[in-house]
Amino acid sequence: MKSVRHHLIVAAYYIKLSVMKQLEYPLYILGTMLMIPLMYLTGILLLYYMVENFHSLAGWSFPQLAFMYGLGYLSHGVMMVFSVQNWWIGTYVLRGEFDRMLLRPLSVFFQFSAMYFNVIGLMDLFVGAAIFFYACDLVHFEWTWLSTINIILVIAASSLLRSAIFTIFCSTAFWTKRSQSMVMLLNEFMDKTTMYPLSIYPHAVQMVLTLVIPIGFISYYPACAILGKSSSIELPVEISIWTLLTSITVHLLSRLVFRLGLKKYESTGS
Amino acid sequence: MFIEVDDLVKEFSITKKKKGIKGAVSGLFRPEKINLRAVDHISFGIEESEIVGYIGPNGAGKSTTVKMMTGIMHPTSGTVSIGGLSVHADRKKVVSDIGVVFGQRTQLYWDLRLGESFELLKRIYQIDSKIFNHNISVLNDVLEIGKLMDIPVRQLSLGQRMRGDLAAAMLHNPSVLFLDEPTIGLDIQAKRAIRKFIADINRLKGTTVILTTHDLDDVEQLCKRLIIINEGRLVEDGPLQAIIDRVTPYRYLVVDTVLPLQDLKHPLVKAIKKEDTCFWMKFDKAQISASKLTMELMQQYPIKDIRLKEPEIEDVISEIYKRRVD
Repeated sequence: MKSVRHHLIVAAYYIKLSVMKQLEYPLYILGTMLMIPLMYLTGILLLYYMVENFHSLAGWSFPQLAFMYGLGYLSHGVMMVFSVQNWWIGTYVLRGEFDRMLLRPLSVFFQFSAMYFNVIGLMDLFVGAAIFFYACDLVHFEWTWLSTINIILVIAASSLLRSAIFTIFCSTAFWTKRSQSMVMLLNEFMDKTTMYPLSIYPHAVQMVLTLVIPIGFISYYPACAILGKSSSIELPVEISIWTLLTSITVHLLSRLVFRLGLKKYESTGS
Repeated sequence: MFIEVDDLVKEFSITKKKKGIKGAVSGLFRPEKINLRAVDHISFGIEESEIVGYIGPNGAGKSTTVKMMTGIMHPTSGTVSIGGLSVHADRKKVVSDIGVVFGQRTQLYWDLRLGESFELLKRIYQIDSKIFNHNISVLNDVLEIGKLMDIPVRQLSLGQRMRGDLAAAMLHNPSVLFLDEPTIGLDIQAKRAIRKFIADINRLKGTTVILTTHDLDDVEQLCKRLIIINEGRLVEDGPLQAIIDRVTPYRYLVVDTVLPLQDLKHPLVKAIKKEDTCFWMKFDKAQISASKLTMELMQQYPIKDIRLKEPEIEDVISEIYKRRVD
């Protein structure tokens, strides 16, 4: 209990410091924040026109697609706020930032996870949330106590999953010292795979996105579960439970990969 | 021993780069790896409250040793323990009782006021508010950080920043302080302030200090004991004066005579050079004391002035650096 309190206090101060740090450069924040809604709006417009012209996409109507798109981007928003530092592991390695973390009496993974709170990412979060709640309205989502808790759990799980996948891939920077191209590639890949229903892809690709890199659990499977659509690959038991289980498993795996990377760092330095 | 370094070895695997495009391509397929031994079977112990200078030429393995002693880097073999705990197995426990300052790299938040970094450390090390305020005021007495507290770190001068870094490293009352080139790039006044700080905390709090530096004035003024490494190996370990005596047992005598003399002779003295009435000579202080030699010379020759010269530390150290390690 005392240890949890200690970690919370430190995390809160980390957040405070990183917000203050970013407010030192307000124009940069403003400029970037203006760009973000444009990015999302082009995405949703693309979906809209696609469905307008083809009537539906693999049996999904525009409101349903918007719901899935919104869920995907909401998790992207959460990741952008809390764990964008995954993208910079390469830079941290080169600059020897992990030295400083290794000198503190706290877990390095904790320090790494808590050290940055991305103010600009809040824009991603707001826009993602706006699209998601708008889509909830479109699909006539019924807000009950139970369904609300379910939605919150799903958002939490899919955000955790997205961040964990990034941690795993970006931890390669402990070996390669470069994470920039990996980040670009993964971002692009995640965009494409969380925006459209998995069922538009060939069966083999679906299997990979379910079992190998379980991106399907970020937006597709949870959307299937909430909207009552049957997924093309049948999963035993309730999908929501799978979403939760997958995200926790992948999160634990990401900590393992991170720890292996850190081992490499401890043996070679920067 | 409070700090024990036992048979420490660190090897790096380095990829040898060949010339030109052809070399770069062949390096992709058949990389030629060489094992570089940066630290080669180093052992030593440090008692509580010692100030130890850890010196050596560039690339001797100083920083690598310090990184292993502070738990940042894992050794290829060998162990380091502080206060009976293994630095690598008990990292969190050990680091809560040590402070580390790298002269080349700040641990302060660049964009924020100095006080902010201290507040973060207060939370990380769970320092009680009363102790924290007390430590800040003590550190302020020595380092005068009070007036720097509200200035963003990026706007501090190098000397001010270093004072901030030293204070940050001492906030949680560590029993050991590692300083990796703390005076690098500083002006004379800033260097003096830092040296005074090191001497003060050692005297007042009994903090053990391990200091790596290229500035021999740091060593001379602070360290009663010196550990010298070269090419990854420990080559000297002991009090500065003892090392000097061992490396050069010689002292120099400069003698001024009343009239120009043809020669100045003594069986235990070796003449080095002569300028007019001035004779330079060298003697082994184990064979004859300076006072006895002076007396004997004065009885023999019409002497106006005699000066005794100690060897320059810089010469001695450079002599040690030059020695081949075998």
